[in-house]
Amino acid sequence: MAATSVGRVLTLCRQFQNAFRISTSLAVQQSALTLTKSQSYLDRLTYPLLSSNWHCHVGQCRPLHTTISRRGLEEFFDIPENWGEATVKSGAPWTAKQLRTKSNEDLHKLWYVLLKEKNMLLTIEQESKRQRIQMPSPERLKKKLRQPLSLQIERSMKRLDTVVKEREDALRLLQTGQERARPGAWRKDIFGRVYWYRFREHALPWYMNKRYKRKRFYTPLFVTPHIRLRLEKHLRAKTRIQNKEREKQTVLQEKFPQIKAQSS
Amino acid sequence: MISCFPYRYPLYQIGNPQLRIFRPPFSLTLVRPGKEQPQDTVQFRIPMEMTKCDVRNYLEKIYNVPVGAVRTRIQYCTNKKRNHLNQKVKRPDYKVAYVQLAQQQTFEFPDIFTEKDVKSAEGSVEEMQEKFMEDEKQRQKPDLRRGGVTEWFGL
Repeated sequence: MAATSVGRVLTLCRQFQNAFRISTSLAVQQSALTLTKSQSYLDRLTYPLLSSNWHCHVGQCRPLHTTISRRGLEEFFDIPENWGEATVKSGAPWTAKQLRTKSNEDLHKLWYVLLKEKNMLLTIEQESKRQRIQMPSPERLKKKLRQPLSLQIERSMKRLDTVVKEREDALRLLQTGQERARPGAWRKDIFGRVYWYRFREHALPWYMNKRYKRKRFYTPLFVTPHIRLRLEKHLRAKTRIQNKEREKQTVLQEKFPQIKAQSS
Repeated sequence: MISCFPYRYPLYQIGNPQLRIFRPPFSLTLVRPGKEQPQDTVQFRIPMEMTKCDVRNYLEKIYNVPVGAVRTRIQYCTNKKRNHLNQKVKRPDYKVAYVQLAQQQTFEFPDIFTEKDVKSAEGSVEEMQEKFMEDEKQRQKPDLRRGGVTEWFGL
């Protein structure tokens, strides 16, 4: 109960970020009470007393504490009040900009909140399909398309992932100077094309790996004419596009001489 | 460390540290069992890449559910159906996990879609509409004195 209500609060509603800008426990209580958007959720939110691991290291601390839910399997379903309702309120998904302001611990906790929410939505969706009833939470009208809630959550999770990856990349660059997490190399395949081959983990060295040896990273000699033909085709296509563009420009200049020639 | 799965778990050799998955990318779906299951068994649909150990750790760590035994199977879904272009359409396969709870706990799949009796506010348009609908229904019902015989038979 607490987790899903917190999930609704934290995962989706941007307005609830006010709850994060806190520095003392008292402020937590006050900010919790002053948020009026969804009072029903907050009434059930029980902010516990300061736990031992929630002490500020620095002067300005922005810790996020979620109540430990003891509901177990009930978290796969909505809170019992929302059962049988036609529409359920929910907020907007997280953007990358908002997520970048959060600390690593917050992001970690947020991931699990999002995950639980996603599980709940999937469960409800499957049950509604089984019972042949319309799913309760409405398809939210987005600017372009109607998108279900589970997609919004997936997008939030993906953005979270990108933010975490950015941080990891930066850390790795600073510490070791390596650009990529997974090692690789530029290699030629049988067709003469050069591509980035990403290494895999093996238990054997490569010269003892029969399957790896069957994959040839060199171009046999009889492929060279095919490469030349492919190159000719590619160049022909490129010149065709360029010529078309040039013709278009000349036609435009003839029709509308006042137009400035586009610098390409 | 590894959350965006490159479709393979990292290689384990003796002496390696314990594999830890931060920010697991797996999502479970609790489903109502099609066949009758024992009281302590919960049925999940899980992604194909998950294992029994994964399911156990997932439920224990994230949901605080004491897990006894986990059994999995892969459900193959049909590739026989064809669309309007006569192309074969594959319904995606899925893995099913039967989780037995420890500590003699039981779980019954709840009924989520019970319709609540909504009483609209007095004097509102909805209430008048509902009354009108009810009156119409009363008028549609046949005369009880005829004893179930339809109006088709004369008299």
